[in-house]
Formats: sequence, C-alpha cells, structure tokens
Amino acid sequence: MIIESLLLQTKLFLQDDMGIEIVETKVADDGTDRVSLGDYTSMIGVGGKINLMVVISYQNELLNVLVESFMDGEEVDPEEEQEIKDSVAGEVVNTIMGLALPTFPNRGKGVTITPPITINDASNIAKHKSSKIITATITTEHGAMSVSVIGPEDILK
Amino acid sequence: MLKVLIVDDSMIIRKKVAKLFEKFGHEVLGDAQNGQEAIEQYNSKKPDLVTMDITMPDMDGITAVKEIMKDHKDAKIIMVTSHGQEDMVIKSIQAGAVGYMLKPITEEKLAQTIGEIFPEYAVDEQDDEIDILNDDF
Repeated sequence: MIIESLLLQTKLFLQDDMGIEIVETKVADDGTDRVSLGDYTSMIGVGGKINLMVVISYQNELLNVLVESFMDGEEVDPEEEQEIKDSVAGEVVNTIMGLALPTFPNRGKGVTITPPITINDASNIAKHKSSKIITATITTEHGAMSVSVIGPEDILK
Repeated sequence: MLKVLIVDDSMIIRKKVAKLFEKFGHEVLGDAQNGQEAIEQYNSKKPDLVTMDITMPDMDGITAVKEIMKDHKDAKIIMVTSHGQEDMVIKSIQAGAVGYMLKPITEEKLAQTIGEIFPEYAVDEQDDEIDILNDDF
C-alpha cells in the first residue's frame, strides 16, 4: 500500500507537474537486502506511529531535467549547481512524501517527517536484518529514478 | 507592493518563491533557512508577509510562528508545507498563521493566497485576459 501510494504520487508529480513522460514502471519486492543508488539520492525518515525510510535515487540526466523545470528556464550558476541539484533532489522527495502521506495508514496522522537528507557518495544502502525493502523504478524519457521504502515487514506488506 | 520574507530550508524553493513574488511586483526583503533565522529577520526587517516552511532543521516553522506572534500580533504568516497533514496545518493556524499553501507552489496558488489575505493585491484574471488580447494585436 505504501509503495503503491508513493509510486502513484511520483508518476503524477513527474507527468502533471514536471511534464515528463513515463516509459515504464516496475515494483520489486524480491527480498533484497540493499538499495542500489543512482547518481543522486535523497532520503526522508518517517517517525512517530510509522517508522520508515523513503529513499529516492535519480539518474543524472533526469535530475538535470527536474532542475531545469524548477528553475523555470533560468540559467544555473555553475558555482551553485551542486547545491541546486541537492536542493531539487530533496524537494522532490519532500513533495512526493507529502502528497502520499494522507494515504498512509491512519491517513498519516501522528506521523512525523524529517527534512530531506542528500547522499551523493554511496553506491548502496543496506537494511537491518528485521526490515524489508521494496523498490519502484520509474523509467522516463529522460532516464530513471527509483523510490525505495525500508521498514518493518508488517507495515510494508 | 508587499515586502516579503521567505523562510524555507530548501534553496530551490526560496529561489522559486522569490521569483514568483517579484513577478507579481512585490519586494523580497530577504530569506531564512530555519525558524531562528526567521525570527531574527522578522524583527529587523518587519515584512508585510512571511512564507514559512513547516519542517525545517534547528527550529521548525510552527515554533517560529509562535515566537513571532508573541511580539507582533498583526504578523501575516503563510505556512508552506509539502505534508498533507491536517494536524500540522491546524497547529500552525492555532499558532497565528493566516493561511497555508501545499507544495508544489505554483503561480496560481500563490496569487490566490495573496489575494485572500490582501484583497487589494488580488490578481485580476479579467485584466490578465485583456493583457493577453492586447499582446495578440
């Protein structure tokens, strides 16, 4: 339920807000113990009544298109480029999480969310033995992004 | 023209919101990345309007609203949040915020919110249509 909601909001965000065409989506619930990360990654911690980690990872080309859209055609100063990319990566996960939250168990009431954290120098994130990982991969006309949820098995089923 | 303070921990959102306000002819006095900076800037700049993110590091937006409202009962603060959490919005309004906008922020949402709080600055859609017609001819 949680991954379906995040996937739906990601698709709506990409298509309706960013004007990006989606080519394919896939959900992997295969018992993997790690999330493979793309070129840029941003994550949000969910706490309170539900404890989860939501990780969104982007291929560089797709993040560049998202940056262009956020900048409304304004040119990016090369000195600010890294900070802007980190900021957009974080803002996208923040927005998708916020849109999906009302569809979480108990309509997301009693749930707290951390500000986004950006990770750029890691190739994967490993789970703790008792948790579970489900990943949705969204392939677009400008490259792919993945949305992963890491959390207790009973919440993610 | 409104004098505006923008509070958000996201650089891209600060840039985007500032650009929209400037497009509407308002003046952005400054920006802040957390609640503490927002209080300091409010006290020194006395803006007509503040846009305030809710979830920020160090001090969140709801705490900042409470602090600003203690000394400035007439402060006009709009909460900006990506969280569809009714309880966060309710807490913000109880703290003294005059309205809220859900992210993603668009020109239409911002224009509507400004118009609700400051009717004298409402964007007249009819005028826009006339402008577009004039552009065509």
